[in-house]
Amino acid sequence: MKLYISSDMEGVAGVCSWEQVDARTPHPEYAIYRKYYTHEVCSAIEGARAAGVGDVLVNDSHGPMRNLVLDDIPADVRVLFGNRKPYSMVQDADPSFGGAFFVGYHGAIGDADAVLCHTYTPSVIYDVSINGVRCSEATLNAALLGHVGVPVLLVTGDRTTVEGVREQMPWVQGVVVKESIGTFAATSLTPAAAQRAIRDGARAAIENAPAAKPFRFDSPVQLEITLAKTEQADLVEMIPGFARMGPRAVRFEHVDYPVVFRAFVATWRLGALA
Amino acid sequence: MTMKVFISCDMEGTAGVCSWNQVDPSNAHEYPTYRRYMTQEVRAAIEGAREGGATDILVNDSHWSMHNLLFDELGADDGLRILSGAPKPRSMGQGLDGSFNGVFLTGYHAKAGDSAALAHTMTDLVYSVSVNGTPCSEALIFAALAGSYGVPVLLVTGDRTIVTEIAQFLPWAVGVAVKDSVGYTAVNSLTPKAAQDAIRAGAREAMARTGDAKPFTFDPPYELIVETAGVEHADMIELMPEFRRVGTRAVRFAANDYRTLLRAFIVATRIGAAANPRA
Repeated sequence: MKLYISSDMEGVAGVCSWEQVDARTPHPEYAIYRKYYTHEVCSAIEGARAAGVGDVLVNDSHGPMRNLVLDDIPADVRVLFGNRKPYSMVQDADPSFGGAFFVGYHGAIGDADAVLCHTYTPSVIYDVSINGVRCSEATLNAALLGHVGVPVLLVTGDRTTVEGVREQMPWVQGVVVKESIGTFAATSLTPAAAQRAIRDGARAAIENAPAAKPFRFDSPVQLEITLAKTEQADLVEMIPGFARMGPRAVRFEHVDYPVVFRAFVATWRLGALA
Repeated sequence: MTMKVFISCDMEGTAGVCSWNQVDPSNAHEYPTYRRYMTQEVRAAIEGAREGGATDILVNDSHWSMHNLLFDELGADDGLRILSGAPKPRSMGQGLDGSFNGVFLTGYHAKAGDSAALAHTMTDLVYSVSVNGTPCSEALIFAALAGSYGVPVLLVTGDRTIVTEIAQFLPWAVGVAVKDSVGYTAVNSLTPKAAQDAIRAGAREAMARTGDAKPFTFDPPYELIVETAGVEHADMIELMPEFRRVGTRAVRFAANDYRTLLRAFIVATRIGAAANPRA
């Protein structure tokens, strides 16, 4: 069995502030938390391997997408490194994978009690929904994996994130590494305890794989986005096929989910230039 | 009888301009001088249009952040409106509609790839752009937008390269070449005063040609090919629906409606800037 891992950083045990996960303005805190992040990913790999997984692809999906401390990663996994991938956090998902893990994930923008909650680009995306369902990064990414028939098996992060995913995908094994108190505080497991829990959860997730289902949206897919600012909507409205629904709201519809996913990526890339 | 003229004014084709420093609003040394010359050339075009019978004039400030014109230099004119600011969905062609009798393009410049002063097309990430196989300058792209409303271009001012190019497509338009380019950052130019006189006379003559001038259009369906400077720019543009990658540094967009095509081109030039290799 081949496993896809999309790893983010805000949902790592102990993380409660942007400094800890800010790779762009090198902060001493980042160096510490990227280790914890790497080790949570390693734990997920160990658990999966204990349950029989062979090939593993890890898509480093946080910030500039080159955070993993490669020295600490098992020698025989493949790592997807670097930014500006058209499918971003789920680049290179294809039907050859038996399942996917979301490690270190976080709540959707607007969630209560969700440390560092955001959806891709918080300065641009105020809210996003598909077919009327409010989406987190986990939802958006799960649907792209689902489009190629790959089910999500494991999610790790704070309780809000895990419960949010399990509400939409009840077959997903959840590992809660912290309880968020608002947006910038959390009661967390220690990194060592979180890593143990992730290892156990990963093994259980692989064992439960036969019960998991690919998550999909019905076609045609309707994407509705509320932007943070009107000037962003001014630009985003120009994307072919987009309709302006309000001063800060746009809508796009397409039969093909990958087209919708890329249109969403184009939205926050373009909106960030406003 | 109303006679409405639309003026899209750019800056690189202003007399004396030969360097980005002169046209960069953040340059406190040179820009203030050349912004005044730009304004004075626009005023000359307005005066010539008035002498030729124009009753209403809309000037779309079309350079950089699009608020360059010095209002004090434009004179009191009840029939004059100024469109300032950016971004605008139709950019240099914002405000155009079928109510206009003609279009002036002032201060325009050669397209990316031409051997001419400050030659470019919209942004640095555009290596070339073509519509239906025809390589396009900004002037041609917006002439076709005017054409989509049945409005002809009457006047083009700028360096000789763009004036000569436009004469091939729009032989009825008056061209005023205020300078000859000597490569990318040098020009052999008229003085601002002489350029303004020539533009005023050209504008007056252009108004007299409204009867002969024809709207410029491409034939539908329309095909846009944008070649980008870097692979990373095409990566960004390709994210958008309906754009197709046709080369490592090339994207294609097709439409039955020219205004849809123009909008796609404008947004392509914008999203390409998201390809910041340092992020």
